[in-house]
Amino acid sequence: MAASFLFSQFVGGLTTAMFLFLIASGLSLVFGVMRVINFAHGSFYMLGAYLAWQMVQWLHPSGETFWPAALFAAACVALLGAIVERLLLRFLYGREELYQLLFTYALVLILGDAAKYIWGTGQLSVSRPPILGGSIMLFGATVPLYNLFVMALGLAIAVGGWRMLSGTGAGRMVRAASYDREMLDALGANVGAIYTGMFAVSSFLAGLSGALVTPIVGIVPGMDVEIIVQAFIVVVIGGLGSFWGTFWGSLIYGQVLSFGILIFPGFSLFSVFALMAVILVVRPWGLLGRPIR
Amino acid sequence: MPLRRLLALACAVAMVPSFAMAKDTIKIGFPIPLSGPTSVYGVPILKGAQMAVAEINAKGGVLGQDLEILPRDSKANADEAVRLARELIIKDGAQFLIGTLTSAEAPAVSTISKENKIVFLAPAAKTTQLTSPQNIHPYVFRVASNTAIEGQSGAIIVSKWQVKKIATIAPDYAYGRDVMAAFTAHLKQLRPDIEIVDQQWPKLGEPDLTPFITAQMSKQPDAVYCALFAGDFLTLVKQGTPLGYFKAIENRLADGGEVGAVDVTQPLGADFPYGIWADAYDPVIWPGKEPAEHKAFIERLKAFMKSDVGSGWAAQGYSSILALVAGIQKAGSTDSDKVAAAMAGLTYETPLGKRTFDPKTHDADAGEFWGVMVKDAAYPYAIISSPTYYNPAPMTN
Repeated sequence: MAASFLFSQFVGGLTTAMFLFLIASGLSLVFGVMRVINFAHGSFYMLGAYLAWQMVQWLHPSGETFWPAALFAAACVALLGAIVERLLLRFLYGREELYQLLFTYALVLILGDAAKYIWGTGQLSVSRPPILGGSIMLFGATVPLYNLFVMALGLAIAVGGWRMLSGTGAGRMVRAASYDREMLDALGANVGAIYTGMFAVSSFLAGLSGALVTPIVGIVPGMDVEIIVQAFIVVVIGGLGSFWGTFWGSLIYGQVLSFGILIFPGFSLFSVFALMAVILVVRPWGLLGRPIR
Repeated sequence: MPLRRLLALACAVAMVPSFAMAKDTIKIGFPIPLSGPTSVYGVPILKGAQMAVAEINAKGGVLGQDLEILPRDSKANADEAVRLARELIIKDGAQFLIGTLTSAEAPAVSTISKENKIVFLAPAAKTTQLTSPQNIHPYVFRVASNTAIEGQSGAIIVSKWQVKKIATIAPDYAYGRDVMAAFTAHLKQLRPDIEIVDQQWPKLGEPDLTPFITAQMSKQPDAVYCALFAGDFLTLVKQGTPLGYFKAIENRLADGGEVGAVDVTQPLGADFPYGIWADAYDPVIWPGKEPAEHKAFIERLKAFMKSDVGSGWAAQGYSSILALVAGIQKAGSTDSDKVAAAMAGLTYETPLGKRTFDPKTHDADAGEFWGVMVKDAAYPYAIISSPTYYNPAPMTN
């Protein structure tokens, strides 16, 4: 087997990984800080995709209108996330986790139907932005420029997110909120604002990844449910609530999928689920997660 | 006197429902995906059926009765489709069933149709399992094409190319597996010299096909036979093009997943890989010798759907209603047993020409329209250059 082929398979896995990281990081962040398992994260991703498509249509289907459209979509989804947290989710924190699960699941149904109502059930597509339309040769493998951009962005968000959490005052507050919400509250910090902010950031990441995926994936109803399953696998492998765990979980998922196809061509999903099963047995709290107290 | 008046009143009241009975409709239960990824097809099929019903009722209905469709969302889930089919028959009084989309739903609903002796027509499910000798029963009929016809059509097209090494890619469930089995078997007969060098099986709805594409490219096929459809085909095109997938095989790819229809070509626009072969139940845009009735059908469909482009799937719903109505008329009754008997071997009209149910397998001789996908100055998206009807296996099983 040629080395260039192994390299292109590796790069393919890396692309998968970085897209999954963009999506799963928000999911993991919200769980880590707020202890909420947000099923609607996939719905925010779907809304990001539809909104980006809508904006591209309004601006102009060709040309570099994709970039403002993607930012617009992500901002809209972030705003929606903040509203949902502020007006609805907030009242469920004191309750059992089951209520939060039911609530976010209800959101999945509501947002799915809303998207169907607004954009119909047809399939939609956004062209690659012309500036990243081409591809380059790397070690004999063809690598699309757009995929390179996504990989770079994923890495930037991983490093930036980590720096934010570990090195800034806001990051310290967020970490404190994840350890002991009541204590932080008693010390006079505005925990409500921190939660709203976190949920908005997580929604922004979901909306952004949904928008960024449109040049390489068709937009269809049901893409919300499709992605949330994969995002959960990544988060489970990496450890629920662990930021770096999600990063490594994505990388491992990407490579296992990519090379699993070579070893078991007839069972494309076998290797990924086998990996998840092994992790759940050996380390139920994930690679970098911590056992729940 | 008051007693007599009371009786008269009671009679009058009793008359009301019987009047309503006289004007009662022929109820057709219609479980089909109206949400989720497969609603891309479920919705236009339902629209086509509703248009047929509106047209037939406007002309006075069938046997003096109006038709009525009871649409339900099956969510492409076999269990849900079964539950809905039961409920439609028992609670809503459905006399006939039309619907289901996937190869998982249709065989499941077929068992309900058998149990309740209710005629069931499948407009879209292609798996040969639906009408195989062990599953066939008097009440199930297929208006859709099937995996044998589709796979063999693909083999005929590919066999005419000057190629040695073929790869395949198909969704990993009954439909994809059955199509590829039919394709490889028939290709072996037609061109024993061609070698199948690679087969990829991404799951249905896989958002990232990149690793599948690069793995396939590494085997350096000369051509590809593909059964990805709808969103999955969009993903293949969007991820494959920058990887040089289509260029490497010089666009020698044939796709049997109805991606020649406007439903797929319109959203892809100029990103469509021009030069590949694709099929459609209804090409919608038909350059060359378009039958007049098809042209009129598409005009009415666009108005009915309030759409500029129409859909390649509406004809399946429309034709299912026409087939059922032809069966009812031939039987002269809405009695399920009589209609079922009348439909075996029945020839019915569709906007795409006459079709006939095989008397034994109950499969319609429904091939599809194939052709090379080209740019046309009149449209901002790809069209099938000269749609050709392929129907190599009218009697399978």
